[in-house]
Amino acid sequence: MTERLAPGARGAAQGLSHARTRVISGATIGTSSVMFGLLAVFSYFNGLSYDGQLNATTDTIVYVFGIALVPLAAVAAFIGVTRFPPGERVRTQWLLISGAVATFALGDIAWMILELGMGIDPYPSIADVFYVSVYAFFLAAAVVAIGSYRHLVDIKMPVIVASIVAFAATAVVYIALLQPYILPAGTDELSAVGKMVSTIYPLGDVLFMLGPAVALALVIGRLGRGRLAWPWWIVVVGAVVFAVTDSWYSYADWSGIGTTAVLDAGWIGANMLLATAVFVARDVSRY
Amino acid sequence: MPEVCDVVRAVLAPFVGNMVADTCVRATAISVGKTSDELTVADLPALEERIRSLLAPIAPADTIDAMVADIKRGVE
Repeated sequence: MTERLAPGARGAAQGLSHARTRVISGATIGTSSVMFGLLAVFSYFNGLSYDGQLNATTDTIVYVFGIALVPLAAVAAFIGVTRFPPGERVRTQWLLISGAVATFALGDIAWMILELGMGIDPYPSIADVFYVSVYAFFLAAAVVAIGSYRHLVDIKMPVIVASIVAFAATAVVYIALLQPYILPAGTDELSAVGKMVSTIYPLGDVLFMLGPAVALALVIGRLGRGRLAWPWWIVVVGAVVFAVTDSWYSYADWSGIGTTAVLDAGWIGANMLLATAVFVARDVSRY
Repeated sequence: MPEVCDVVRAVLAPFVGNMVADTCVRATAISVGKTSDELTVADLPALEERIRSLLAPIAPADTIDAMVADIKRGVE
């Protein structure tokens, strides 16, 4: 995909060396294929697990396999960051995205140790500290990324529109989830810490993931087909998948309609998209 | 010989899109008291400085170096 140039610029483009025919590297395609291939395998067996078709041992293997996937994405993301020369300002943005994936991975590992290794209820627990930290890392990455375009495009309107979307989504979360289920929950159902964490998740999804993702999309949308926007589109999709998955999990859990294997795939897939974006970010900036 | 502004747009557009490429050209032109079409080879140092400052937060230095080199090659 190349940018359609104005007539004068099209003529001037002849003889310039920027026209790389293959932008996305083999490393990116290979890494993404392995990650999403493993996710497909996990999703198949996780579906069988949800349907009760696996024995206890296989269930545990599938569980551990699923837990291992986000740390794998985190490692991939950090490897992707090392492809940027040290000291680059743009490296910070992708380091923060990698941080978001890494903290989610740490949350998963802590969750597994508590649930599988120690046999205790992991909610609420130290795992939630890591999971909540994902919002901080993602928000910081989005703010830095959006700010980096402030001298090139208008960022005020995107931020205003995104704030409106985020607050509208917050109203939906309040009406559908907080008011009927979480806030009225008694101490017999949920501890004070548990209630606080249960409130933070859906609010974090809309205020710190969905909102910044909308602002980011509106900002990078001004780049048209410019290839520096590509990795941020992947981040936007990853953030939306994450926010929708996480919010839907809260609703499914509290309303009693039950969770599904799709939700597990949503969290893992969202993190893999973020890791893929880090790789794509370096590819698109290569001359 | 192609216009300087067209060369700059042609080099930047695949990375940042037409609109942002045009913003870079116009910002430079305004800073030297000209319109985009009036930019000449003599304005290259100002163009280079402006492009580096605008793109540094969104692209690695080696990419910007290559862009600048390509612009210089394109106008010579």
